[in-house]
Amino acid sequence: MTLRFILTCAWKDLLRARRDPFGILVWIAIPLILGILITVVFGRGEATPQGRLLVADEDDTFVSNLLTGAFSQQPMSKMVFVEKVSREAGRARIDHGDGSALLIIPKGLSDAVFQNQPSRLELITNPSQRIVPNIIREVLSVVVEAEFYLNQIAGNELQTFARQPGSRVPTEAEIVSYTLAINRVAGSLRPYLNPPLIRLETTVAKANVSGKNLGAILYPTFIFMAVVFSSSALASDIWKERNAGTLRRLCMTRTPLLAFLTGRLLFVVMVFGAIGMMGVSVARWLAGVSVANFLGAVAWLVFSGVSFYLLLLWLVLHASTPRGANTLANLVVFPLSMLGGCFFPFSQMPAWMVRIGSKTPNGLAVIQFNALLDGSVDHSQLAMAGGVLLLVSALAWMLLVRRLQRFVI
Amino acid sequence: MIEVDELRKSYGDLVAVDGVSFTAKPGEIFGLLGPNGAGKSTTIGCISGLLTPTGGRVRVMGHDVVRDGTAARQALGVVPQEIALYEDLSATENLHYWGGAQGLRHTQLRERCQTVLEATGLLDRANEPVKQFSGGMKRRLNFACGIVHAPKVLLLDETTAGVDPQSRVRLLDLVREQASAGVTVLYTTHYLDEAETLCTRLAIVDHGKVIAAGTLEELRAMMGERDLLRLTGVFSSAVIEGALKQLNGNQADGIEVVSATGDQLTLSLSGAARKLAAIFNAFEDVGAEVRGTTLTQPSLESLFIKLTGKELRE
Repeated sequence: MTLRFILTCAWKDLLRARRDPFGILVWIAIPLILGILITVVFGRGEATPQGRLLVADEDDTFVSNLLTGAFSQQPMSKMVFVEKVSREAGRARIDHGDGSALLIIPKGLSDAVFQNQPSRLELITNPSQRIVPNIIREVLSVVVEAEFYLNQIAGNELQTFARQPGSRVPTEAEIVSYTLAINRVAGSLRPYLNPPLIRLETTVAKANVSGKNLGAILYPTFIFMAVVFSSSALASDIWKERNAGTLRRLCMTRTPLLAFLTGRLLFVVMVFGAIGMMGVSVARWLAGVSVANFLGAVAWLVFSGVSFYLLLLWLVLHASTPRGANTLANLVVFPLSMLGGCFFPFSQMPAWMVRIGSKTPNGLAVIQFNALLDGSVDHSQLAMAGGVLLLVSALAWMLLVRRLQRFVI
Repeated sequence: MIEVDELRKSYGDLVAVDGVSFTAKPGEIFGLLGPNGAGKSTTIGCISGLLTPTGGRVRVMGHDVVRDGTAARQALGVVPQEIALYEDLSATENLHYWGGAQGLRHTQLRERCQTVLEATGLLDRANEPVKQFSGGMKRRLNFACGIVHAPKVLLLDETTAGVDPQSRVRLLDLVREQASAGVTVLYTTHYLDEAETLCTRLAIVDHGKVIAAGTLEELRAMMGERDLLRLTGVFSSAVIEGALKQLNGNQADGIEVVSATGDQLTLSLSGAARKLAAIFNAFEDVGAEVRGTTLTQPSLESLFIKLTGKELRE
């Protein structure tokens, strides 16, 4: 009988949610809407912005190739695709918004550079794009400056090399001769460069930020935010039941309150299941988040959500009014969410905050959720986090069962 | 059957129910009367298993509500004072839920829902959300949810509070139907006219104690043939004493003071209508200011006032 009533309770809550869907739908819609917005604004795939540089190279010499060659090197080659066009075709395309920028290299650039004569490069940018055209402009400024200094240092050698007929391949003797000449120039600069005044230390950044788009970084956070806020809303619903007198009435039937609580928990599992399915699906197919273990991530979300729900339910039972219950829940939810990676991703938080936040129940849950999404699960860590959440749930459940009867009366 | 024996419920130093005893038999409508805070709802709470008694014993159909609570509650139907329904759900959905809580299932549940919907006149609105119902309809559905599992004992706590006259008549008919079907009904109210027309036996409760119990006739006999005369105005104890002395001297003896506050005086006397002139004269002579008079014939209400010194709705 009790099992049947548990199902009846869950069904009752589903019907109530269906009749007044906005309370729950708002929380399910949050990750969906945020995910769609992020995808629309920043696009999917890797974080690197991508653009197309149209080049009208009317000089077509060693110098002009050196200029555009900068864009064929890593990491620029991943950001900017270079396409050679005629001046007219390039102009027409950029006017139609096709391309990030048009670079016009005038005939005679090479001669002007070697004769230290002024020359003019023309860069026409696409006003509808903001990031890539700026990158192109900056790279070009650096390359133009580099060419100036290179010409000052090894101008004679470069001139000799550049004046070779385009089709002729330099002989090995010539290459050795140029190399030795440039080496001599570099040797004469050594006193100024050695010992180096600035020592460059290179640290390889962690791979967790690079290679992920903004959606991938933020989206798991949004899903957890929805779960924590839904937990709070679902927990506060017990006050509606209390004020309506339905809980008191139930105490006067043969059914124990425990059955009601279990039925409610079943309903909560269904709600979190729906949020999880919806959230992870949106993450995967709309926001471009890599999802290594779809079902695992959803199951973990439900499991964590149930823990938060039980904890918050126990908490709101201690309030004396519904408003007090909301305040009490918010007092816990907001600081925990901010610290525990449910507002801002851990990767964007200061180290001291991460140290604290990763010890909170939601922090533990968020870390493992991310690991399940990107496939970097450490099973011992997952088991430990699961154990902590299970302990929190069990403790909250025991305290709840003891508290509920007093709350009802 | 409900057997309440020396029931006691206290919250710290506050004693809400203090040694209440009564027995309600099958087919009987037993009335529990008392003003707000008298201990009626606490008594109902203890019988229904919502509250654990501090002392005494309560049995429902022979089952102790503490030791054998589940069996006791199985026999029990409760219609609480508040409208304890899910407003988003329809009448049928509410009945299914509360029937399910009492262990009904499948065909039996469907049949009982149909029966009580018909009995309460809600069949044509069965699938509408309760929030669209009028107050009277909600009260009827509240009643229906209490009887959906055909209980042997029915606890009705202020069932007709705030109900329109039509719904009230219908609800009282339903209570009578339950009693005629052999159900033991415990009915708490502070509508004395309802208690007089509905209840076969009554207990008057005040400050957690039963101060009078019996059939309506037995209770009326306690009152005798004495009327209650309530005077409003300004009355000091010296004024009251002087007036009573004068009245006794004028053969208006046998007047009892039921209660006296600064602005209200309640007297119990026989043949009050004939003695009104003498009473007014006596109070005028001692300098009292009488602004209003109410004369009440012997009734449950006058008995209640006589026993408690206050009106039931105070």
